[in-house]
Amino acid sequence: MSSLDNINPPVAHNEYGGLHPINQTKEYLLKLLASMGFGVVHGPEIETEEFNFDMLNIKKSHPARQMHDTFYTEGKKNVLRTHTSPVQIRSMLESNPPIAFTSAGKVYRKDDDATHLPMFHQVEGIYVDVNVTFANLKDLIHQILHELFGDNVQIRFRPSYFPFTEPSAEVDILSESGKWLEILGCGIVNPIVLNNCNIDSNRYSGLAFGLGVERIAMLKYGVNDIRQFYKSNLDFLAQFK
Amino acid sequence: MKILYQDLINHLHEKPSKELLSKKLFQLGHEHEIYGDIFDMEFTPNRGDCLSVLGLARDLNIFFGKSETIDVFNGNINTLEINFENLSPPDCPKISFLEIEIENVMDNYRPYLENYFSTIVGKKTNFFTDISNFISYELGQPTHCFDRETIKDKLIFKNKECNNTFKTLLGSEVTLKGRNCVFVSAGEIISLAGVMGGTSTACSSETKKVLVECAYFNPESIIGKSIKYNLVSDAAHKFERGVDIESQELVLRRFIKIVQDHAKIKSIKLKSFIEDDIQSPTIPIDTNKINNILGTSFKENEYLGYLNDLGFNILNDIKVPLYRHDIKTNNDLAEEIARVVGYDNIKSSPINLKKLVYRDETKEAKLESFLIENGFYEVINFPFTSNEEKESIKIDNPLDSNRNNLRVSLKDSLINNLLYNERRQKDSIKLFEISDIYTKDPKIKQQKRLGLLVSGRLGKNYNDFSKKLDYKYLNKLLNRDFNEAIFKITEIHRNVLDTKKKDKIFYVEISMNDIPSSFYSNLSTKNNVINFVTYKPVSEYPSSTRDFSFSINKLDKVETVISMLDEVSDDIIKDTFIFDFYKNDTTKVVKLGYRCIFQSHSKTLSDKEINNKIQEILSPILKLDGVLIPGM
Repeated sequence: MSSLDNINPPVAHNEYGGLHPINQTKEYLLKLLASMGFGVVHGPEIETEEFNFDMLNIKKSHPARQMHDTFYTEGKKNVLRTHTSPVQIRSMLESNPPIAFTSAGKVYRKDDDATHLPMFHQVEGIYVDVNVTFANLKDLIHQILHELFGDNVQIRFRPSYFPFTEPSAEVDILSESGKWLEILGCGIVNPIVLNNCNIDSNRYSGLAFGLGVERIAMLKYGVNDIRQFYKSNLDFLAQFK
Repeated sequence: MKILYQDLINHLHEKPSKELLSKKLFQLGHEHEIYGDIFDMEFTPNRGDCLSVLGLARDLNIFFGKSETIDVFNGNINTLEINFENLSPPDCPKISFLEIEIENVMDNYRPYLENYFSTIVGKKTNFFTDISNFISYELGQPTHCFDRETIKDKLIFKNKECNNTFKTLLGSEVTLKGRNCVFVSAGEIISLAGVMGGTSTACSSETKKVLVECAYFNPESIIGKSIKYNLVSDAAHKFERGVDIESQELVLRRFIKIVQDHAKIKSIKLKSFIEDDIQSPTIPIDTNKINNILGTSFKENEYLGYLNDLGFNILNDIKVPLYRHDIKTNNDLAEEIARVVGYDNIKSSPINLKKLVYRDETKEAKLESFLIENGFYEVINFPFTSNEEKESIKIDNPLDSNRNNLRVSLKDSLINNLLYNERRQKDSIKLFEISDIYTKDPKIKQQKRLGLLVSGRLGKNYNDFSKKLDYKYLNKLLNRDFNEAIFKITEIHRNVLDTKKKDKIFYVEISMNDIPSSFYSNLSTKNNVINFVTYKPVSEYPSSTRDFSFSINKLDKVETVISMLDEVSDDIIKDTFIFDFYKNDTTKVVKLGYRCIFQSHSKTLSDKEINNKIQEILSPILKLDGVLIPGM
């Protein structure tokens, strides 16, 4: 016969919380890129038009600069950065090649619908050295995508257009359903951008790439509605610990 | 842009299948979806030259060869006497006017024209406008048709400062502001150049004499106008991306041919105004440069052969076709070569960068790990708020005019997160956010801050269930190592919030720079687990909670009951836990409180469904000797 003293109470678990899945994904990407030789640089979310657009060869007339695409602040004095590329511009102005770094963080576009949000996260990388080629870019992107989605993932490069890279590419992976999914944008740094950053484009060339953190997180976790990430629903957040 | 498969292959020597065509289009960088015989194309903004059947076929010729020439009017055309003045040649270096007078129009369109309207457009407008729209689809050059009889006075093109109301041919009225390129006649703006014509000079089904305007507008002069005035305009879409300045005669001769196919022509007159003789740009031949960009080893004849097939003229240097506004440098040419060879066919080549160790032992990471260990969930919020403070940075063009400031504190976001979760029956809430906050002072100031909020039960285990998250809890958690309170804890009073809940809310906000280094000394980052679990959609249906109080007087059954309760799981059970455990020394009875939360992913559960499930869970436990739920 047991006595009361011999009875063990149930284990009183202390519940752990969790990191936000977007920050988990961002950290994963930064760790992965560090293992490939990319250091991390930081920059402000409120940017000048010069760093966000001009230095990146995005001309005054480019649609992205219109009021319907970009958030302007304080009487058009500044913009909420539309990508993390201006961080790379700032860093290139302060360093000499060879350079390899990533910038990560929040970016803003004037969008709000089922598949676009006014704020999302990017991780971008740039590598500038002598003789950096499109073939190098391809190898790097393959490595990143194999790390993210396994060695057997099928990858497709497609020509695309970004003012700050030339040639430019968008990269797709083949989903289990047999549909190609766009996963990242990349390219050879446009020599105009290097020259803007006082880097001699006759001597140096560079590669650059940008990943949408929400996009990667959606694929890795199987979340099919981007808006879920920003509802702060504890039933949602508790799943990622 | 929608392009009919049959129209496209009519311009190709070989007749590829839709599948092969699709594959090659992707290789060239032209995204699309296929719906039956229609290729719904999405072109990158630098490829305005592809915005037509002819333009896209031109890009595909390298794979499938070139087919039929375009059927045009080859006869002589008289010179048009037109009183026209171009007051702004930089905005419009070349413009042509074609005047056609007809007797009557056939009742039915010929198949090539009819097919365009039945499969691509759906709606006809009037004879001349229909031809104009078809030619824009076929050749990529927008034209505008004025009813000739409505223009009696001199026609002037100019870039002028406007403050005018303008009624478009679609009937909408827009107020033109600032500088705009316009056509003016008799003092009236009759067309917003490159975007849309006006109603006063528009063609109708009665028009027998048309004046077709065919122009090259500088893209910079047109960009943004259609969006500014909220006008959906295929012409503006094309002019903004650049049209072929050399195509005007071909386009107008094609226009005449189509008119001729459908009507008896009385007269044709044409006049071109060339203000600036634009030359094709040239790029020196430098095969090494191309190979250095791509990491390839193309021979010069191979490289130049590709360019030749793409329509580039090779002599001592590379002459770029005038319709290719996107080609200016060797990097552009390298992309051309890579496109036709196929990006996927360029062999990868590794780079050898020295591996770095990611600095994950940062203060921020340690703080996150500490909070996770203590049950806090990280949230990320948008920075837009309606609250305006003196130091707030204003958004000029907010998505929501009520949220036109950047937040100066994390507090309101976290309160909203709390209320959202309380509405979803959460009764123990611990949240944190780490974010940069931007203020003006008057210069822009950036500060990384931690915001932290608690409310409700301390926890759900039987030790914590009846206790509340409070000042004491937070103070012990955050300030235990300090003589003075580094983390200032404030209570947020519920009377200012839209809620009927009673639990107290406590909040901390601190600059990351104000947290002393000593706070981190014993912290690690061990809890910052990156875990790519497969997510299960969150149910939007209400949950139902049931509590049971077991009384166990056969003490050897206590562990069995706990173990059986631990194993309870089901699709409609969201959570279970023991929230009370009490040993009564006098009666020698163990009391055990058990909570079961039900929720379905597909419906609101009925009491009957919940009761059936409860029966299923409880009956094997209540069959145990000495185990009962009093009153049940």
